Amino acid sequence: MVTPDLVSDEDIAKLIIPDDLPDEQPTFKAYIEAKVYDKEGHLIQYHRQPMRSLTQYFLALMSIPIIGTYQGASVNQAPGILTNVLGLPSSISARYSADISWDWAIQLGSGTQAFSPTLTSLAAPISNGTGAGQLSYGSLSVSYAGSTIYVSIHVTNTTSNTISVTEIGLTGTIYIQYSNGSVSEYSFLLSYDTFSTAVSVPALGMTIFQITLSFTG
Amino acid sequence: MMVGKEIEDIDITMPKDAYDTGKDTPTFRAYLTVVVRDSEGKLVKVHRQRSHSPTANFIGLMLPLTYFNVTGSSYTIKTTGGSTYNYEPAINPTAQCISYPNTADNYPSYIIMIQVGSGQQSNPYAAYSLAAPIANGSGTGQLVYGNPSVSSNITVSGSSAYFTISQTFNNNSGGTVTITEVGIITYLQFSQSYNNNPLNFGQVLVWYDVLNSSISVANGGSVTIYYTFTVNP
Repeated sequence: MVTPDLVSDEDIAKLIIPDDLPDEQPTFKAYIEAKVYDKEGHLIQYHRQPMRSLTQYFLALMSIPIIGTYQGASVNQAPGILTNVLGLPSSISARYSADISWDWAIQLGSGTQAFSPTLTSLAAPISNGTGAGQLSYGSLSVSYAGSTIYVSIHVTNTTSNTISVTEIGLTGTIYIQYSNGSVSEYSFLLSYDTFSTAVSVPALGMTIFQITLSFTG
Repeated sequence: MMVGKEIEDIDITMPKDAYDTGKDTPTFRAYLTVVVRDSEGKLVKVHRQRSHSPTANFIGLMLPLTYFNVTGSSYTIKTTGGSTYNYEPAINPTAQCISYPNTADNYPSYIIMIQVGSGQQSNPYAAYSLAAPIANGSGTGQLVYGNPSVSSNITVSGSSAYFTISQTFNNNSGGTVTITEVGIITYLQFSQSYNNNPLNFGQVLVWYDVLNSSISVANGGSVTIYYTFTVNP
């Protein structure tokens, strides 16, 4: 028998997301940093701010190590979060076997927009290149220390004008690798933040952007 | 362009908003909710606390391909039994990654359970098993484990979003059973897609929490544990 004092979904929802538990340490902290160098390699600006805006796709991605890729021991289908949120196939053809992996990237932009956990892109992404308004994206770097993951990228402004970066996103791509060698890709915006003050990358200068994701462990 | 002369070049001061003031709005939180009922199904206790602790296993499984590609390193995943595996995913049919379902074969990687225990350990990050798992059964000190239930979707409300994992345990042991620790156990198989040859790796602890206060489940009673993972709450 279930007691009538706690039966509805609404009751449960109130319980599972408390208003706050102020005396407890947070589970997670995240920061965005930018180090701006001029054309001579001198550090001219250092910016650091809390990251505030993870999307539902981050939640869905982090669910994979927790809930796996199958619904159960004998249920040969992917969990609903993977199919409903990430758009992954429920299962693939019997002709192939497959496995799953993912990668991240940092995307910069010059626009702003209101945050929503369902955002799929930056407002005005800055493309990779050497043309006007473009930045040359270097290689991504990922490291970890304990329960903290660091993701950074350096970008170079090869144009003759300053480029202002006003928004930043952590993006993710899930790869389903098939036994025949083909790969399906699914890309997502994992976080979205606007800078409290724009980061200006000077002409011929360089900037390192770093995102720090720290689980308290 | 030369890079390398850094902080000494200019007077850098940390922006005030960069310090951890405790007032930042966390982007991610996890909660534990424990609902205890007596033998008649009547609610006797609700316990809520923040969940703090992904394990080292979770961090390794969460890392993106770039980490493995650039460093050439693997990450050691450890089962609840102490066996280890050097996890090194790649976009390559010969790489061993987490298996994905197809309609012919069944090499499942899936959540096995929320596991409860009667012990505790001080370093959740390093935990690979509960300190003292409570066995599934009706014997003394045991609980009957129900099946875990996972949200089939992520609920979005305004700027926040969440999903839950829950599981109910019944106490048919004949006495009170006390819970002090909780964890999430996932079963992993790493497959090489090219030869359909999975490695049955086993049970892995991915999340672990010690309860702020112990939970007592009376004989005939039940307890339901909810893990809630949320962004921008």
